[in-house]
Amino acid sequence: MSGLDVGGLSVTIHGTAVLTDVSFKMAPGEILGLVGESGSGKSMTALALMGLLPRGAEVDGRAVLGKTDLLSLDERAMCRVRGREIGMIFQEPMTALNPLQTIGAQVAEALAIHGGGARGAGELLARVGLDPDRIGPGRYPHELSGGQRQRVAIAIAIALSPRLLVADEPTTALDVTSQAEILDLLCDLVRDEGMGLLLITHDLAVVAGIADRVAVMQEGRIVEAGATEAVFRTRSHPYTRALFAASSHVPKRIAAPSGVPVLTVDGVRRHYPGPRKGLLRRGAPVRAVDGVSLGVGRGESVGLVGESGCGKSTLTRAILGLDALDAGQVALCGDAVMPPVPGEVRRRMQVVFQDPFGSFDPRWRVDRLVAEPFHLTGYPEDWRDKVAHALVAVGLKPRDMEKYIHEFSGGQRQRIAIARAIVIRPDLVILDEAVSALDVRVRAQILDLLADLQGEFGLSYLFISHDLSVVRSITDRVLVMQAGRIVEAGPTERVLAAPEHPYTRRLVAAVPVIPAGWITPQSA
Amino acid sequence: MRWPLSLIVGLALSGVFAAAALVSFVWTPWPVEGISVASRLQTPSLSHWLGTDHLGRDILSMIMVGARTSIAVAVVAVGVGMVLGVPLGLLAAAVRGSWLDDLVMRGNDLIFAFPSLVIAILITAVFGPSAVNAILAIGIFNTPVFARVTRGAALSLWTLDYVRAARVAGKGRARISAEHVLPNIANLLIVQGTIQFSLGILAEAALSYVGLGAQPPLPSWGRMLADSQTMISFAPHLAVFPGLAIVLTVLGLNLMGDGLRDLLDPRLRRAR
Amino acid sequence: MARFIASRLVSLILSLVVASVAIFVVIELVPGDPAGFMLGLNATPEAIAALRAEMGLTDGPLARYLTWTGGMLTGDFGTSYTYKVPVADLVAARLWVSLPLTAYALALSTLIAVPVGLLAASRRGRPADFAVMGATQLGIAVPNFWFAMLLVLVFAITWRVFPSGGFPGWEDGLWPGLRALTLPAVALALPQASILARVMRSALIETLGQDYIRTARAKGLSQGQSVRRHALRNALIPVMTILGLQFSFLLAGAIIIENVFFLPGLGRLIFQGITQRDLIVVESVVMLLVFAVILVTFLVDVAYALVDPRLRRA
Repeated sequence: MSGLDVGGLSVTIHGTAVLTDVSFKMAPGEILGLVGESGSGKSMTALALMGLLPRGAEVDGRAVLGKTDLLSLDERAMCRVRGREIGMIFQEPMTALNPLQTIGAQVAEALAIHGGGARGAGELLARVGLDPDRIGPGRYPHELSGGQRQRVAIAIAIALSPRLLVADEPTTALDVTSQAEILDLLCDLVRDEGMGLLLITHDLAVVAGIADRVAVMQEGRIVEAGATEAVFRTRSHPYTRALFAASSHVPKRIAAPSGVPVLTVDGVRRHYPGPRKGLLRRGAPVRAVDGVSLGVGRGESVGLVGESGCGKSTLTRAILGLDALDAGQVALCGDAVMPPVPGEVRRRMQVVFQDPFGSFDPRWRVDRLVAEPFHLTGYPEDWRDKVAHALVAVGLKPRDMEKYIHEFSGGQRQRIAIARAIVIRPDLVILDEAVSALDVRVRAQILDLLADLQGEFGLSYLFISHDLSVVRSITDRVLVMQAGRIVEAGPTERVLAAPEHPYTRRLVAAVPVIPAGWITPQSA
Repeated sequence: MRWPLSLIVGLALSGVFAAAALVSFVWTPWPVEGISVASRLQTPSLSHWLGTDHLGRDILSMIMVGARTSIAVAVVAVGVGMVLGVPLGLLAAAVRGSWLDDLVMRGNDLIFAFPSLVIAILITAVFGPSAVNAILAIGIFNTPVFARVTRGAALSLWTLDYVRAARVAGKGRARISAEHVLPNIANLLIVQGTIQFSLGILAEAALSYVGLGAQPPLPSWGRMLADSQTMISFAPHLAVFPGLAIVLTVLGLNLMGDGLRDLLDPRLRRAR
Repeated sequence: MARFIASRLVSLILSLVVASVAIFVVIELVPGDPAGFMLGLNATPEAIAALRAEMGLTDGPLARYLTWTGGMLTGDFGTSYTYKVPVADLVAARLWVSLPLTAYALALSTLIAVPVGLLAASRRGRPADFAVMGATQLGIAVPNFWFAMLLVLVFAITWRVFPSGGFPGWEDGLWPGLRALTLPAVALALPQASILARVMRSALIETLGQDYIRTARAKGLSQGQSVRRHALRNALIPVMTILGLQFSFLLAGAIIIENVFFLPGLGRLIFQGITQRDLIVVESVVMLLVFAVILVTFLVDVAYALVDPRLRRA
């Protein structure tokens, strides 16, 4: 056979085991999905196959591609294998290409290095769906979108029609519609060119859509492997079960929206100056937010979804009163939010950001961090008790007040961020991609926590997210934003089940899903 | 935390010269004003460890007193640069993209077009030479350095969520600059300060050497070198020792800067 | 690209205007009257009055500023009070020493620093790297004028392979001139080369950690090929910044080094101007130095855009 046969692959880095006895087989032309959470060893497996492990790594075991054991090759021989026998694409398309070279030159280099291939660079770029008239080989990477750059990376990887393509989270950094297109392209290439595809991802739904077989990794080991449908239906390993439960988790909500408006956004516009067209002239201003109106009632959860660049970040800043508006009005419980926002208005609104690592000043202790919003209300006598209560409310301990932020995990940090948001009992909490950076099991816990807190304190939530599945599980209503406008709004179930606007339809169709039949009959 | 070797060596070297400067206030092996033609141009010996100059003055004593001038000029100049540059940098970052930011940055670029030697030349041409000139010239040149470093580091902090969180907590830009930004870039400023300090010592020596800095009778390393130049063929020790004093002090400060950077920023250490 | 160059040209001109105003204002700050200042205490009132008229001091400041800058634009830098010759002639003669010296030093510095930085980066953490880092650490700490004195001691006085000073001019051909400039250029270049080598090393190490290097490796390029084809050009960007800054350091350094070697360059001219209180010479030479620095900044900006396509649109 000429597939891939990995056996007993173990890797240690400076003595620490990162992979332990990893074994799997891939038939030619087969798609194997390698799934697991961050730190499970998925990427290390790929780098070990490519011989690109970081310094200080020691490898043991075998990885036979065709007839050669990749792990036994020296560096020279490995250079001939990389690109020719195995192609690889990485997660971050924005930085994966040399910014100083044209995309055509970068594809051509892959050909030149191995003495030329069947197709030229132009043909390859056309093959991955880059229209030569619009995105020709003479373009530079910075002129391309993330999805287009990922296509270039794919063109480089398939330039010599390798037997195996390794894709490490190839769509994680992309918008959902680009993700769907890239996954289609990969499937298509595998079929046409007869390549094997090792698809590494954290997203079970992505695997469900395209992989023939799947292997689940946890802590450097493969805990379960088999045909995709069988693994998904039976879920024999507890870790697989936990992953599944978490990814389709729907928090229990005591939904009691009262209809009394907390936040009203009315006809908000926000423009940026256009690109420079000369020394003094500028192009037409960019309308980042173009006449948006929305409302959030007391106790209600509203989702705002859209892809990158749709204006949701600008809108968020406007709602938070961080930027002035060009037109329209934002009001909290009837009071206008206009910079400089008075403390008594601002105190009704708090925010939780995406990045659990950048959200806290590393030099401050947790008590001071969580208490920062008291700046708006004046520090009460018992502020430390209130901080302790907030920490308990988010599932942490009062003595965590004494610690610094680096002592906490990503999920715990997000709990602290929520504690900071609720410590002054605001009416509205804006969740700006608040669970996007979290692993699926931690995400489920945080969503539960948010649901509980809503019931307990009567909070209203505005969920800003690119992830439809999160919005589906926790919001009452959803708004879909495109190019600065709200194109569709309505009850979440209705919008996601029967979208009316063409853009919403495309968005919903692009979301990868695990077939309903695979999930429901949870065999005991 | 373990101290990096470079920090220990650097501290020791610069410590020796700082100590020599301090001791020189109360004691030097020989009086530096003592001109004695009888003992001129002696090579190093037990009584004059580093020899004597053309006026019979003890070189070691002159180096000790010269350390005073060098360190004082460099410290004050770095202080001037920090006091002016850091607030400007913080301000520019806080109002990023506004005309005020533009003004500060264009002003910076403009001062960069005047190397400190050129500033010193201008000042001297108008007001005559003095050590104060050197301080002013080096201090003015340091200002945009600190402003730029501060702005660059502060800008990346302003994009972080904890600064946004502080704004949502109703804090103003000045308060955020003081509470969140400055403490988080202090490490960087300390390291930059050390580097500028060593550059200041070099610049002071160069200015004194060409006669734009410290004037007689104030001893300074640069002037000792200038005086020694005509005698280099028959009394090379006059040129060697003050030069070594400059090299070792600057080396010490640079090593200290590297060591501090490693000590204060563990991330950088891992990245290297 | 044309638009980019135009926008940089505008800022070049603005910088020149502001810089010339700054220099003019500082010279105006001279205690008392420039004519009296230049002539000293023993001057008769008639002599001062004559000089005032000759320098045009009877006009207002704005008129004088316009005369000065207008003259500079047409190559008329005024007449030196002490030498009684046009400053432009003085400067032109001196430029033929200072400019070749700076260029020689810049070339030496680059030729030494780039390979050394490359070596250190590719042997990172190994003995060669430590040797380079140690040597450059020392090189940064050495004042160039002191290094120049040591060079004179060794190569001119002890071994007599190079002259200890003076400049024969370019009339006798290239070699005697180059020979006279070699020790000064080495003295100027080595400390700057130390800085440049360290920048080169860290820039290369930084780019070698980038994702596109991993992409290049995944294509099948060896480590060496990915350095040559991808890392080097990317690492050039920070290196160019430093090269631009070094030009002004070298220019200033050249002024000092000329003193060590008794070279008849701009440095000597300016110090003579200071001691003889010849403000016209000082003002013009300072403006010329500042012009050179601003011009190099502009050239570096254009070079950035040539290397980096992302900047061409700005």
